[in-house]
Amino acid sequence: MSDELKTFLEGLDSLARECEACKGQAASLSELEEIRVEYLGRKGRLAQCMGALAKMPNEQKPEAGRKANEVKQIMTSLIDGWQADLVRAQDEARLKRFDPSMPGRKPWAGSLHPVTLVMDEVSEILVGLGFEHASGPEVENDWHNFEALNIPPEHPARDMQDTLYVSENIVLRTHTSPVQIRSMLAKKPPLAVICPGKVYRRDSDLTHTPMFHQIEGLLVDHNVSMSDLRGTLTAFVRQLFGQKTDVRFRPSFFPFTEPSAEADISCVMCGGEGRNKDGSTCRVCKGTGWVEILGCGMVDPNVFKAVGYDPEVYSGFAFGFGIERAAMLKYGIGDLRMFFENDARFLEQFA
Amino acid sequence: MLVSFNWLREFVPFEGEAQELGDRLTMLGLELESIDDPFEAVKDLVVGHVVECAKHPEAEKLSVCSVDVGDEVLDIVCGAPNIAKGQKVPVAKVGTVMPDGMKIKKAKLRGVKSLGMICSERELGFSEDHDGIWVLPENLTVGDRLVDALNLERTVLDFDITPNRADALSILGFARETALAFDLPLTLPELNLVEAGGNASDEISITIDDPALCPLYQTRIIRNVETRKSPDWMRFKLLAMGQRPISNIVDVTNFVMFELGQPLHSFDLDQIEKAAIRVAPAPDGMKFTTLDDVERTLTDRDLLIWDGGKPVGLAGVMGGANSEMTASSSNVLLEAAVFRPGTIRKTARRLSLPSEASYRFERGVDQVLNTFALNRAAQLMAETSDGKVTSGIAKSEPTPWQDRTHTYRHARCMKLLGLDLEPAFAKKVFVLEGCKVDDSNKEEWKVSSPSHRLDLEREVDLYEEVGRVHGLDRIPAVLPRVSKSLEGGNVTADTEYGFVRALKHWGMGAGLNEAINYSFVGDDDLDRLNLPAEGRVAIANPLSEDQNVMRTDIAPGLLNTLKNNLAQGNGHIRIFEVAKKFIADSESDTETAEQLRLGMLLYGSRHAADWPWPQEDVDYLDIKGHVEHLLDDHLKLKEPDCVLVQDHPYLQPCINVLVKGELVGFMGQIRPDIADFYHARKPVWLADMDAAKLWDMVREQKIRFTELPKFPPSRRDITVIGPATLPASAIRDAINEINVPLLESIHLVAEYAPEDASDERNLSFRLTYRHPKKTLKDKEVEKQHKMVLEELLKKLPVRI
Ligand SMILES: [Zn+2]
Repeated sequence: MSDELKTFLEGLDSLARECEACKGQAASLSELEEIRVEYLGRKGRLAQCMGALAKMPNEQKPEAGRKANEVKQIMTSLIDGWQADLVRAQDEARLKRFDPSMPGRKPWAGSLHPVTLVMDEVSEILVGLGFEHASGPEVENDWHNFEALNIPPEHPARDMQDTLYVSENIVLRTHTSPVQIRSMLAKKPPLAVICPGKVYRRDSDLTHTPMFHQIEGLLVDHNVSMSDLRGTLTAFVRQLFGQKTDVRFRPSFFPFTEPSAEADISCVMCGGEGRNKDGSTCRVCKGTGWVEILGCGMVDPNVFKAVGYDPEVYSGFAFGFGIERAAMLKYGIGDLRMFFENDARFLEQFA
Repeated sequence: MLVSFNWLREFVPFEGEAQELGDRLTMLGLELESIDDPFEAVKDLVVGHVVECAKHPEAEKLSVCSVDVGDEVLDIVCGAPNIAKGQKVPVAKVGTVMPDGMKIKKAKLRGVKSLGMICSERELGFSEDHDGIWVLPENLTVGDRLVDALNLERTVLDFDITPNRADALSILGFARETALAFDLPLTLPELNLVEAGGNASDEISITIDDPALCPLYQTRIIRNVETRKSPDWMRFKLLAMGQRPISNIVDVTNFVMFELGQPLHSFDLDQIEKAAIRVAPAPDGMKFTTLDDVERTLTDRDLLIWDGGKPVGLAGVMGGANSEMTASSSNVLLEAAVFRPGTIRKTARRLSLPSEASYRFERGVDQVLNTFALNRAAQLMAETSDGKVTSGIAKSEPTPWQDRTHTYRHARCMKLLGLDLEPAFAKKVFVLEGCKVDDSNKEEWKVSSPSHRLDLEREVDLYEEVGRVHGLDRIPAVLPRVSKSLEGGNVTADTEYGFVRALKHWGMGAGLNEAINYSFVGDDDLDRLNLPAEGRVAIANPLSEDQNVMRTDIAPGLLNTLKNNLAQGNGHIRIFEVAKKFIADSESDTETAEQLRLGMLLYGSRHAADWPWPQEDVDYLDIKGHVEHLLDDHLKLKEPDCVLVQDHPYLQPCINVLVKGELVGFMGQIRPDIADFYHARKPVWLADMDAAKLWDMVREQKIRFTELPKFPPSRRDITVIGPATLPASAIRDAINEINVPLLESIHLVAEYAPEDASDERNLSFRLTYRHPKKTLKDKEVEKQHKMVLEELLKKLPVRI
């Protein structure tokens, strides 16, 4: 081995040692970059050594080259290692400052009114059972709102609903039933419609608002029975209030159905016990274990006659359901009036 | 309807608990509301015996009594003049709460201690009698509770009666249902009418002008009656039914009405002119003074009872002041009648004179039972007044009752109810309800319904009876197979409901809270917004002045919501509402055009939280952004055109929103003077979109996929310096008008308006060029872009 080669190789070794001695000197990535440039840069110290390589005799070049590469790799891996350490240290420092508890940058949050939510849910269940949506005017004439529904002018049944009048012949609809009439006039059976919407009564106190929401269902076909009505309503309330809900039919009276029934459901608050767990009387069902939830019945033959259906050929059932009442049960809202005050703090609770 | 439990059991031997009865009747369609103690207020009173009674040493009008109340003898000072030694009296001991809420305390009256109170009937709510303390019957046991000693009713059931069940407006009616429910015998009260000779039908003539208005009118005469207090048994029964006793004559008619459901009326026979009664309508506009001394103006649809010269009663509603029984009257003409229900209802409603009597008449009374009720009342009146009942009845019955006969098809009934019951069950139900059944034809029975069940009018009413008595709750649940055509069916998305739902879900997604306001507002609310008075749909009988008209505009409701929220301290308001507005329309069969609108209102800070957002209030670009987001991004209609309009009633500025040239809504800022009323101190931005029109547009359009571009775009920004009054859209439109085939889009990217209120502003636009079939070279873009700049400078007074 020539002296020249020897000196060259020793020079490389000492370069590697000097580089190694730089350990810990760089406090930042930019300082480390300076070290890298010093040793490995285009005009760095390794490059300077390599300048000598070119002048060497050819037979010595392979060994010198190998050594130069070896030293380059050593230095590269040293510096890469320090760089990794520095990056890690920096990441750790950054993580220490990271505050996961800072509030997020939220998009605006909107909400749907609880009446809409319950109406939607009820609609969806009924559509799933085969009903279609129908809608009609909120200001109605007497014929659609009363007479066609078997409520003649002097009938005491008119007292069942305190009516808001526009004129002698025009009323704010007291129920969504006139939509049934309009649907039957527009279409021949079979017919399965639901009519959700606003209704109006001349009544305002703790448990009544002059406007509220109803959804009514009507099914007309050959051979529809009260059993079908019961099956439909049972399926419906169980989907809405839970599979354990029981349905009770009580005879009642509506001029547009015969027979008529009130459907009660087992109280969702106390599970139909009538008492809370602490033994106190349940406020929702007043201790009876039952909550009145909807009115229903078999369509009265006079209603069929009014719309030109033959009651000897067709039968049908109808039911009507108060949305606010269901929403109160479902969400535990105690005060009916909150529905129409639209306090943002109320509205924001539902979505 | 109140039902005294003990009174009911005089008719039917029901041995169970009141709750059991109430529950069973509820399931028969007579809904129990509550069970109450009618004498709750006096339950702590006891029977006392006055063992000593001496004058108060200091006060002449007071007496000092020693009263034995069973377990002790109390000293009680009493001010009543009729107090005397040896009397049995009701005593409220110290601690007793009186019906008026006063609590009896130890007292000292003029130096003498008093440990309780001896009570009058009035103090205990038994009568208006306040002449002195209530002297009780001798035979009562000292120390007993008054309610026990007098055997007062402690259980009254309150039922909610549906309008069809006229038969359930009496104790008898409830007894019938109880007998039906528990298979018990029914006993009617025994009639012991003693007639004193003469013949009423010779003494009084009765004429009915229109038999349709009055199928039956009959009277009895009771002479030499003495008006006085009714016997205790009758008074206590009436009290239990919530009826204050008045005098024997009045009490008897009330008693029989509660017992049998037939309202009755007593005239003073001596005030009846010419011994004649005529039932005939009033002349239109006639004035008549009813026995409450109110003069009423009548119409020709009110039915009157006349004597030989004058009207004496408003049929079925109220008697006349000119013929009422007074304390000095001695002869009674007792009326039992049947009137046309609708007529009575109309009069009672129009005059706001609802009464127990009109309530029963307008639902229909039992014509067959009428005579029994008349006789029973005559008997009781004679017995309680020492009067004599003239023999015979003066009567006119132009339309005698005839049972109505209906077909009954059992198989059809079972099919409708979804039940499978034996025909024998149906027959039993009908018979128990008083129907006559002819089932000789097995398929089609003939069933005659009785006079007390006016609601059994048709075959289907019989079905209800079978279902009701069997128990509607025992009908099995079967899920129906909804048979309907798959063709032409509406999926929800295609219905109005579906579109409204889509709008609402958009609103929620866009960060708005859904509000629901009443459809009616006050005229004031509309006037405040300078909305026209024409076209309003007014409510004839509003609950209040602030709910007297249907809203002709969506804004008042939203503004009221804003006001409510500001009052609650909510300062970041972003609400929407999908609802109808109502405009009078004589073409419509409801005289109203109902227009579906989507309203939005933004107020206060743009962001819900201060951090990490800048604190800025909403402005025009927020409301416009919502409108654009809805129309363009959500409904995929074209980007709307916005046109400033002048002189809007309540918005300034007001901007009309057009899509493809059609007006679809408007938006703007509520004029500050109006906003002030709603306590809004910051700008209120509102948009009102025509949801029905949007629905039409959405239904007309189909969304089509556009191929994605294959070649890269080339973008150039330009900053246009122009007059501040030059709209951004004018610049955009001008560029669009230059026919540059490669120009794909123009977007505003920045606005710079110098703060020194200069007349100019800078608007930066980004122009995107693209060739559909190749990558554009810089040179090609530059050429196009240069042309755009040159043309723009020619078209508008701007610099680049
Ligand atoms: Zn409960």
